[in-house]
Amino acid sequence: MTALPRRIIKETQRLMQEPVPGISAVPDDTNARYFHVIVTGPEDSPFEGGLFKLELFLPEDYPMSAPKVRFITKIYHPNIDRLGRICLDILKDKWSPALQIRTVLLSIQALLSAPNPDDPLANDVAELWKVNESEAIRNAKEWTRRFAMDN
Amino acid sequence: MLCRWNKLTVSMMKFLVTYRVTDEVEALKAILLDDELNIKANERGEPECIETLVFPSTGEDSQSQYVCVRLVVQLPPGYPDVSPSVNLRNPRGLDEDTVKLIQSDAEAKCKDFVGQPVMFELIELVREHLTHSNLPTGQCAVCLYGFREGDEFTKTECYHHFHSHCLAAHVAAAERYYREEQEKLPQWQQDSTNKFQAICPVCRESINCDVESLWSAPPPIDVETATDFSVTAELRELQRQMAALFLRQQQRGGIIDPEAEGVKMLLRTEDDPAAATEEVSPPGTSLNAFANQAAHTFTQMQHPQAKQTAQQQSEQSNLNQYQPRQSHHNHHGHNNHGHRNRGRGRANYRRHFDRMRQTESTPR
Repeated sequence: MTALPRRIIKETQRLMQEPVPGISAVPDDTNARYFHVIVTGPEDSPFEGGLFKLELFLPEDYPMSAPKVRFITKIYHPNIDRLGRICLDILKDKWSPALQIRTVLLSIQALLSAPNPDDPLANDVAELWKVNESEAIRNAKEWTRRFAMDN
Repeated sequence: MLCRWNKLTVSMMKFLVTYRVTDEVEALKAILLDDELNIKANERGEPECIETLVFPSTGEDSQSQYVCVRLVVQLPPGYPDVSPSVNLRNPRGLDEDTVKLIQSDAEAKCKDFVGQPVMFELIELVREHLTHSNLPTGQCAVCLYGFREGDEFTKTECYHHFHSHCLAAHVAAAERYYREEQEKLPQWQQDSTNKFQAICPVCRESINCDVESLWSAPPPIDVETATDFSVTAELRELQRQMAALFLRQQQRGGIIDPEAEGVKMLLRTEDDPAAATEEVSPPGTSLNAFANQAAHTFTQMQHPQAKQTAQQQSEQSNLNQYQPRQSHHNHHGHNNHGHRNRGRGRANYRRHFDRMRQTESTPR
């Protein structure tokens, strides 16, 4: 096994010792670069009350390149497609090594609070979000209730 | 009568106070350079906020100033008989504890100086603190470790600090990314200057640095001596909870099934064999089926024809990657039908992730 960079070890320890409210990220048993993640839907958003599972993978040259993140739980959001892929600049060209697992996940949580249908990834969702926002929000709430609530 | 007298006294005092404050400001202006001092006045022209950027005393040598902080002092009505409020903004090279210490010392100083001008005292106090800790006490944002005696570090123009080694790695990676992105663009969209501009990892200000000389620096001392990480019982418990939640959501049809959603899109079509093999073959995996498959893909990616069109390659890797798992596909597919997946347990959960790991998780 290639040695795990110290930075990844340090981030993992900090995630355990000082967890971010509403976010948990746990490394996989067999691969410390692979994290199982839960992000809770932000208050006052259509995703409130939802527990969204994501997967996060730290590539070989992390932190010089961005982690790869994807939703596993279905979510109705204009910037997240059917496969759970996320349209977020810091995961692409705005990546900086000063960002961390925790800041990336916080940004994703913030994206849930502030959907941006003008920069869509899921076109049908974005379209509805623009022409009939209240219906889109109803859909998002319904998906959250059906797929992401844990009761 | 009493009321009138009171009023008179208050306005006289006000005048005197204003006079004293103006005096103090004039004195500050005489001592500090214009560009070091920013004074905001209220509509009556009385100073109400004084800002100044404070550096450690290093004589004329600004190159060896590694820390700085913006001191913002709000002068309330009635100052100096009322204590001003002190704010420390944009600390550079200072950790939280140091900033807190300066803050509390500054507040104590303000209490001591009630009734007397305190601005100059405050600036001196902050400067002394900075001179004392003129070695960055924060951590390098790239490796997340601190600066030790003997570490080679670089201060950017924006006063952020990095181990030279870490900064070199950042700039080199950013430049590589820039070149790759340029190559992907059609000619007319390419940056005609083709000039890469490095930016600060923390604040994205443009920075100038010589990567060659930065690379010659040794890796950070703390990183080299850090202890290893092991999976704790707490971690195992969290892993267990995660797995349980996954299963509950899967039973409700809440888990995205890439196969049902068009699996071709998820397959890697990376041109870079090194990057591709890294991702499909994460170190330390103990799952045989997965390892076999990774090896399979490895061959595929190493193939001289790796540079095909995305479509061709996608189809080819689709064949190669999924043939060995055909049976798996058959019984695992279409799990978006609620309870059909009930009771498959942890093994199924594991398989899901083994499969997921190989997929491209962000859109092209």
